[in-house]
Amino acid sequence: MDNSPARPLAACQLIVVTGKGGVGKTAVSALLGAALAEAGRRTLVAEVDPRENLHQMLGVAPSGGEILRAGPRLWVQNLSPQRVIDELVSEQVKIGLVARRVLASPIYQQFTAGAPGLKEMAVLGQAFRLLSGRAGTGAPAIDTVILDAPATGHGVALLAAPALVAEVIRSGPIGRMSAAVAELVADPLRTAVVTVTLAEEMPVQEVLELAAALEEKLGRRPDLLVANGLFPPFPPALARDAAESDPAAVLWRRLRANQDRELGRLAATWSWSRIDLPLLPLARGPELVAALRRAAEGQAAWKAVRS
Amino acid sequence: MAALVSTREPLLVFVGSGGVGKTTLAAATAVRAAREGRRTLVMTFDPSLRLKDALGVGEEARDREIPVPLEAPGTLHVSLLDARRTFDRLIERYSTDAAGRDRILANRFYQQLSGSLGGILEYMAVERLFEVASGAGERFDQIVLDTPPTRQALDFLEAPARIVGFLDSGALRVALKPWFDEAGHLKATARWGGLGRRVESFLDEVVGLDLLREMAEFFQAFAPLFAGFRERAREVEALLISPRTRFVLVSGPGEEAIPDTLFFARRLLQAGHHLAGIVVNRVHPRFDLPAAEGFRTAEETALDGRRLLAWLGERDERGLAALASLAGSRQPLLSVPLAADEPTDLPALAALGDLLAERFARASLG
Repeated sequence: MDNSPARPLAACQLIVVTGKGGVGKTAVSALLGAALAEAGRRTLVAEVDPRENLHQMLGVAPSGGEILRAGPRLWVQNLSPQRVIDELVSEQVKIGLVARRVLASPIYQQFTAGAPGLKEMAVLGQAFRLLSGRAGTGAPAIDTVILDAPATGHGVALLAAPALVAEVIRSGPIGRMSAAVAELVADPLRTAVVTVTLAEEMPVQEVLELAAALEEKLGRRPDLLVANGLFPPFPPALARDAAESDPAAVLWRRLRANQDRELGRLAATWSWSRIDLPLLPLARGPELVAALRRAAEGQAAWKAVRS
Repeated sequence: MAALVSTREPLLVFVGSGGVGKTTLAAATAVRAAREGRRTLVMTFDPSLRLKDALGVGEEARDREIPVPLEAPGTLHVSLLDARRTFDRLIERYSTDAAGRDRILANRFYQQLSGSLGGILEYMAVERLFEVASGAGERFDQIVLDTPPTRQALDFLEAPARIVGFLDSGALRVALKPWFDEAGHLKATARWGGLGRRVESFLDEVVGLDLLREMAEFFQAFAPLFAGFRERAREVEALLISPRTRFVLVSGPGEEAIPDTLFFARRLLQAGHHLAGIVVNRVHPRFDLPAAEGFRTAEETALDGRRLLAWLGERDERGLAALASLAGSRQPLLSVPLAADEPTDLPALAALGDLLAERFARASLG
């Protein structure tokens, strides 16, 4: 069955990039951002990471939460969920002194820190504000937000959060925003889910669980799967006797065979639009992003990104 | 000479970023301990299917200690940690009556909290360690704890302190006030005057009164448990700092893993924990090949897996050297080479455990 997304990623407003920690989500977010910006979309790539690894990947200095330009039509921002909630509150409570006292009160802090799903909703809520031009004065007009999702927990908890919050909070600014964000996330024409994995047992297992949970909870599947860190296929010409005396070739063949086994497990469970990315001898940074993008653009599944 | 498995320090905690292989190393160390004649328990959160196969256990080990059929002078038990069940048991332990317990367990806010709140999962790992180390301490003389796959390994260490801080905070006293009257309406905080009314209508609008009611009920039902809970968290914290507990910090290979590893090591030491050593796992072997000769671009180099491996070997060697000079010699630093295949049976785990113990002993001498 063809599992292509409803629309190419480049036509979506929100692209959520999920996956286990250390699989290369940040590199994939950066390469999608660069590709969409070049395709004419005004794109913001967002991360939720105090170390701002995405900034490093795009060659931009850490900003501590400001929106920074990373190239033509390309911006980057590190999101703080608490800051988004506080901003919403300040907008609602218009008197500055009252707003400050509300924000400083322990009960407000405890409730906003403990309310289930609120932080996750706030991250998606900031994407929504950017897309609808409500992110405040000075924020650029944005066509697409790419979210490098936090590594902790399953991506499905993030995606299900707006609906959860909207169910509990039915009125007020957070309630209204949650309902709108829940609608955005559930709409396959506006929101795409990209899942990144290594061809290793545990990350692959998590992708399979994520896909099942997404189908069950949101009635949708990942639109694109990216298998990262692949060794090059082992050439048959090397496979004969000569290889046995060459320890580097032996290790290469075994590592790639293990990766093939995990790719096979993915393919056996679901048919995916899948982009395979090579393991490259490059450190984190713009050069790696550019090289990975060249590798991705040459593949048939790239049509899921840009037709 | 220091040994990885030692009678004087019966608790060994493996920490590190997610995906570095600490679960496998913890299991291998436990196999080694059993083969040294010790009654060993390994507690783990999220083992791979293959590791479960290798140990010969499945879901029946969830929250229980299941013996592993290992021919050894000692014994080996495995337990899969379940944060939710540990939390439920903690509630049951400190509840004064069944009705109070049921009110907490059925509370929607508790159900969300126990499943999702950051730090709870981590706290439950140490809580479970404490449970086994104190209660069932007679059954085991070596406990190996694997920690949850969080990106921030520190959450785990700070969890007991955070729980105590939360219980002692003014926020909790505020939350414990009878906010709602019997009809379920917010009591007017008249003495706050206009501000009080504003805060209430704001909370109603922004957070939703249903949620507030659930939270207030939770905190009130939870109140009788606080004293026991706080005492317990203090004891857990003391256990983590005691010389009986040693930490093994597991790191990924390569230069990019160094900042995280150094950060974790410093935090462990600053907090007064005993760091047994740093293990750099899955280090690529060195091959005597020029990493990039004859190739112009990274893409071309990557097409020959042998050159790619040579590059990875050089990268990991640089990483190890940099880590050695930055981390100093306060604790042993050792490396475990990348294996093409993860251990799939007990002999393979035993071999890995032997290699780790031997390298640890050698690093301690150096």
